[in-house]
Amino acid sequence: MVSKIKKKTLSFQDTIFNLQKYWSKKGCVILQPYDLEVGAGTFHPATTLRSLGSKPWKTAYVQPSRRPTDGRYGDNPNRLQHYYQFQVLIKPSPKEIKKMYLNSLSSIGINHEEHDIRFVEDDWESPTLGAAGLGWEVWCDGMEVTQFTYFQQMAGVECKPVSVEITYGLERLCMFIQNKKSVFDLIWNDEGITYKDVFQQSEKEFSAYNFEYANTDNLFKIFEMLEEETKLLVEKKISLPAYDQCLKCSHVFNILDARGVISVAQRAEYIARIRELTKSIGKVWIESQS
Amino acid sequence: MSELFVELFSEEIPARLQINARNELKKNIKNFFIDNQIKFNENFNVYSTPNRLVLHVDKIPNEIRLSSEEIKGPNVNAPEKALEGFIKSNNTKLEKIFKKNTEKGEFYFFNKESRKIKVSDLLEKNLSEILKKISWNKSMKWANYDLYWGRPLKSILAIFNKKTLNFDFNHINSSNKTFIDKSLEEGMKIFNDFHSYLKFFKQKGILIDQDLRKKIIQNKINEIINKKNLKIEQNDRLIDEIVNIVEKPAVIVCDFDKKFLNIPSEILITTMQSHQKYLPTFDKKNNLTNNFFVVSDIKDIKGFVKLGNERVIEARLSDAEFFWEKNKTQNLVKQVDKLKNINYFKGLGSYFDKIQRMRKLSSLISDDFLISKDKIEIASSICKVDLMSDLVGEFPELQGIVGGHFASFQGFDKEVCLAVSEQYLPNGMESKLPKKMYSVALSLSDKLDSLVGFFGINLKPTSSKDPYAIRRMAISLVRLILENEIKIKLKDLIVYTCSVYRDQGYEFDIKKIQNELSDFIIERLKNYLKEKKIRQDIIESSTFLLGLDDILKAYKKSLCLNKNIKKEIGFETIAAYKRSSNILNTEEKMSTETLGFADPGLFKNDYEKKLYKKINDIRKYFLSIGKDENYEESLKILSSIKNEVNDFFDNVIVNDEDIIIKKNRLELLNMLCKTFDNYFNFSKIEA
Repeated sequence: MVSKIKKKTLSFQDTIFNLQKYWSKKGCVILQPYDLEVGAGTFHPATTLRSLGSKPWKTAYVQPSRRPTDGRYGDNPNRLQHYYQFQVLIKPSPKEIKKMYLNSLSSIGINHEEHDIRFVEDDWESPTLGAAGLGWEVWCDGMEVTQFTYFQQMAGVECKPVSVEITYGLERLCMFIQNKKSVFDLIWNDEGITYKDVFQQSEKEFSAYNFEYANTDNLFKIFEMLEEETKLLVEKKISLPAYDQCLKCSHVFNILDARGVISVAQRAEYIARIRELTKSIGKVWIESQS
Repeated sequence: MSELFVELFSEEIPARLQINARNELKKNIKNFFIDNQIKFNENFNVYSTPNRLVLHVDKIPNEIRLSSEEIKGPNVNAPEKALEGFIKSNNTKLEKIFKKNTEKGEFYFFNKESRKIKVSDLLEKNLSEILKKISWNKSMKWANYDLYWGRPLKSILAIFNKKTLNFDFNHINSSNKTFIDKSLEEGMKIFNDFHSYLKFFKQKGILIDQDLRKKIIQNKINEIINKKNLKIEQNDRLIDEIVNIVEKPAVIVCDFDKKFLNIPSEILITTMQSHQKYLPTFDKKNNLTNNFFVVSDIKDIKGFVKLGNERVIEARLSDAEFFWEKNKTQNLVKQVDKLKNINYFKGLGSYFDKIQRMRKLSSLISDDFLISKDKIEIASSICKVDLMSDLVGEFPELQGIVGGHFASFQGFDKEVCLAVSEQYLPNGMESKLPKKMYSVALSLSDKLDSLVGFFGINLKPTSSKDPYAIRRMAISLVRLILENEIKIKLKDLIVYTCSVYRDQGYEFDIKKIQNELSDFIIERLKNYLKEKKIRQDIIESSTFLLGLDDILKAYKKSLCLNKNIKKEIGFETIAAYKRSSNILNTEEKMSTETLGFADPGLFKNDYEKKLYKKINDIRKYFLSIGKDENYEESLKILSSIKNEVNDFFDNVIVNDEDIIIKKNRLELLNMLCKTFDNYFNFSKIEA
């Protein structure tokens, strides 16, 4: 009897399952992660490209996200170079989206009547995607757990209709739910596997790669090659393969950035180059939609 | 008499947008009433919570009477269609139209009779326009709609005299209902007047009036700090933000582990204030304590809110502690070389280049300031190293301050540490001002280097654009000099800074920089004097002769004259000058051939001789004073010429028949005016 009264801690994977089930019931297409290295769930073509044009679209998916500069060799309890986002994108933004979001929190054990849930101004901008939006970061008892954004622009194009994007930081959220001070102590499943068991070695090795061993001469060359390929594919008007090459460019740039070989001035230039690619791909995609 | 009550319900609008929207709505509705000559209670208010923008105006008449008016129609020679249109648009008949001559010819007219209009009709017709006129600092679109608003607008409640005002605002129809629950946007409820609306929400603990929320938050905080013997820092901006991000404020006292108090307090304070919107507390000796306030938007019945916030601050401070421990031991001197890899600004080299220039500049300044050249050079060399630290990466607003702590930890001289810490101060008109000479010297050289650099690569601000905040930099420079009473030749320093750039191989147009930058700084000086409420004519006069050579002198002289201009010494000084200069002005032709002195041998009476002697006495006074001029004393001396001047004008006719005598008398008056120039040129002062 006692064990029944004690509430079971929601594991990392159960959190994902619950969110998937919740948004599935709301009519979202549940997708799997995109199979390329990306910096955030927003980069998944199901968000970037699908937010363009007039066709309605609802989706939700987990996206592993890589931020090479945030790596800390698995030593820091709050920072990772690889983490998970749970992403929801709905176009056009539904009237009841706030209610839907708050109920999704209930589905993972956060009752908005017991916690101080706050929508704090946070306007979002992605220079590489040529994207901008207005919205909030959502705080739960002072902790940022979600980004909530109404896209105003994507790939340099004004969004019409406007999509709403909800991005849950899964590790943060789970640390909150499971009451953990370190991400590595998160309980992954009911068999006692922790986040540490799954990811600590990877954090350590990828930090070393991102900061120390990545061959920068090669990466600079690869960037050029990928950029050229993207442009070629844009000319051929095949937007999705072009976008793949562009995503690869973006990741190569992120590693070069982490290696500290890009100066401030160069940085702006590389970002502008990627943005130009995204814009040209956006155009081709929109044309293909009509 | 009736009330107008409007509520605009939306998703959470950010604090500063709310404040802006409140002001805009207030202004627009006021203009509406005034333009339509409708009486209203001018002490009305606009309220807001993150989700509700509420307008309440009372003492409005239900009807207004529009007086009769003559309406001008088309010219009598215009095509018939025009007349038909005129009749139709005024809803009248041909019989009521009459012709009348005007300056521009003969026209048709129609006499519109006095009539009554319902205010509710006018409001229904105009409210949509009034709302559209709100100009948002930042706005957005959502879903399929074309409306721009701060955040998605969900409903409009509009009541006049307890009845619904029906109008459409883009896709939204107004009604007498609003959402009770802002979170789930559920439970619509009807309201017919403002009072019952306020009362209903008050019972739910929700305070619509922002001023009331502020009072309640402040009272609760004061109650706790008095009990706990604590203090909080007056921070209106933060309080105003907090007030506007909650609707039912609950103040919660939290604490963090005392071990974090070993981290420099600025880091803790920034984390709490800017990142988390917490209010840090201090003990009676002004030391930071481990207690802080969270203003929650919910009653913390189960203690989750306190627990959660304490965990958040714990995580953030652990991060800060980690970086502090790591960075503080990294040798500042050994890192200086790495600044070569960090760009200061495109076209102005790296930070390493910048600190080389700052070192030369501060070293020159140290001679004037009588401070140690070695120490200021050390401060210049290490002052930018903190830009490479993780801590400044995390807390960019703490640049300099963090560097000062590193320097202090590594045992640098106290004055050097303080100079590094205060190098970016002051930052504008309101900011704190460094007082210690090492800090002033470092800040001065940083700002001069930047100003000369930006003018050198032609990035000076325009009237509308100042992306690099160069104006603020120049204002800060002016403040550094004036408020610390520094006697320094700014013009020479600009020339020297240019030469330092030249030594590094920059090919600036030095003459151009000098002229443009001097003018620019003089403009800032004038603004500064204006802020100090100095009369415009005094400002113009003081900057006219003294220019950039001694802005401190220009400042002090204008302050002194401004203070005394209505008193006897100011008044008499100006009167004496004006009497003399007026005559000189009318005899303008003379001035080209002045000798610069009068010939005592040509004096014909004692009045001339006495005035001549007095002028020479005053000249001696100005020759004798050195750097320690007492400006009030100078004014007094100048004003003391009053009797001699009056006697002269009362008894001597300047315009003598003998041209030589006349000329000599004009020379005498010219001498007087030139003598007065020792204070400054009074010609632009309005008597």
